[in-house]
Amino acid sequence: MNEILTLKNVTKSFQHKTAVNDVSFTIGKGEVVAILGPNGAGKTTTISMILGLLKPTAGEVQLFNHQPQEKQVREKIGTMLQEVSVMPGLKVLEILELIRSYYLQPLVMHELINLTGLTDQDLKTRAEKLSGGQKRRLSFALALAGNPELIIFDEPTVGMDITSRNRFWQTIHHLADQGKTIIFSTHYLQEADDAADRILLFKDGAVVADGTPAQIKARISKQSVSFIVDPEISLENLYLHSEIDDIYRKNNRVYVQSNNTDRVLELIFQEKIGAHDIQIERGKLEEAFEQLTSGTKEAI
Amino acid sequence: MRTFQMQCKFEIIRVLRNRYFVFWSLVMPILFYYIFTNVVNTNAPDKAEWQAHYLMSMTVFSVMGSSMMTLGIRMVQERSQGWSTFIRITPLSDTVYFAAQMIGQSVIHLLSITIIFIAGAIINGVSLTAFEWIASGLWISLGSLPFLAIGTLIGMMKKVETAAGISNVIYMVLAVAGGLWMPLEIMPKMMQTIGKWLPSYNFGNGAWEIVRGNMPDWKNILILNAYLALFMLLSKYIRRKQEAA
Repeated sequence: MNEILTLKNVTKSFQHKTAVNDVSFTIGKGEVVAILGPNGAGKTTTISMILGLLKPTAGEVQLFNHQPQEKQVREKIGTMLQEVSVMPGLKVLEILELIRSYYLQPLVMHELINLTGLTDQDLKTRAEKLSGGQKRRLSFALALAGNPELIIFDEPTVGMDITSRNRFWQTIHHLADQGKTIIFSTHYLQEADDAADRILLFKDGAVVADGTPAQIKARISKQSVSFIVDPEISLENLYLHSEIDDIYRKNNRVYVQSNNTDRVLELIFQEKIGAHDIQIERGKLEEAFEQLTSGTKEAI
Repeated sequence: MRTFQMQCKFEIIRVLRNRYFVFWSLVMPILFYYIFTNVVNTNAPDKAEWQAHYLMSMTVFSVMGSSMMTLGIRMVQERSQGWSTFIRITPLSDTVYFAAQMIGQSVIHLLSITIIFIAGAIINGVSLTAFEWIASGLWISLGSLPFLAIGTLIGMMKKVETAAGISNVIYMVLAVAGGLWMPLEIMPKMMQTIGKWLPSYNFGNGAWEIVRGNMPDWKNILILNAYLALFMLLSKYIRRKQEAA
């Protein structure tokens, strides 16, 4: 099998709380996976364990069938951490040269520069004088310097403006097309939906859902059919059907909630209730997501 | 091997670009040297000997400073800015990283020693035998080891500001009390007794003996080694405690 990353019953407890609780999943070659969840859901702790920066309290993490700390694993991974790191005293180009020398088969320099959008001006600037955006670009370049097979980003787009964000995701797609495996964490459903082909939904240190964006969305957002109907008409008959989860009135419209909206339409005509102005409602995804993940204690 | 060369090269570039290093390790010692051998009249009985003696004092002062401050503060900087964490994810081995730091630091020391020696020769025409130049240079490079160990201790601090402040105080106290600024002989008896046990005095005394045509005292070597062992043990102990936390 093309398993790149395996977590088996991984738990991480700190003194006063359990940050990650019995998490297991496997990621195969070429997948683009989003670790989605609100702040404090255990995303960063999980990523730190994958990178070998933290040791799990229990369970096992394996990358390329080896321990995360092993050198041959390090050769194949690249990462961009939440905290942007720079080496003071060196120019960007020098830092890239230095980091590339750590790897057996680094990415060709001009390709690295092209991918990350570093300008000639950036390359000549000393690390400590970089702006926030430039630092992010440098971090991104450092992640790609070793031409890694697996790239891990912890909240990569925090602090990026729209342009850099778009550019970043474009590059990610480009890398995914080359067959790289990509894992990133985010707390925006939209971002996970746009960029990933698989979402691991984290809540309170556990994976509460694992699937394609469409599956996750179907799970967290309720679909419904809404229509206008004469208030005198009884909707009793609709309640008799088990496919229908809920019926409620809002702003003169009747909303019928169900996972099978086709069936609801069928029923509405079958029962001849005289419904008109019929619409299928997808439900507000972000709201549903927030609802699902709310009640999580914020990380301190 | 290429990694190691690169790492050394860039470690050296970084130090040379550091303005604090250039000021504290090159400008200050040479300036002091000029002042205390030309401007201030020290009434030294043997002028040539005083000029050679003080050249050694200032070179020791320079190397001691860069061992403690340059290394220590850089370690704190790298950690607080997330660089150390990033490095841990790359294939760079700890051994190569550490060795490159030490080699880089030694090259910097040799450079400082050469520059300050040349300054001495130019400013006061200090003339020593080739053996004395080389032996004192080597003594100062090797004798810096306990101070590098102090540097790694300082490097364990959390904040750059604290590390800079504390290392400055230690630096100045060691320099003054160890007789690098003024000879110990002109200080009160009490201070002399304490001073003779300080690593800075023993570091300096080896070089002072060499320029007087003697060899460094066994006592100097023993005391410096004892300090090196002490600081290394302390450093290991603190690291273990930090890792456990």
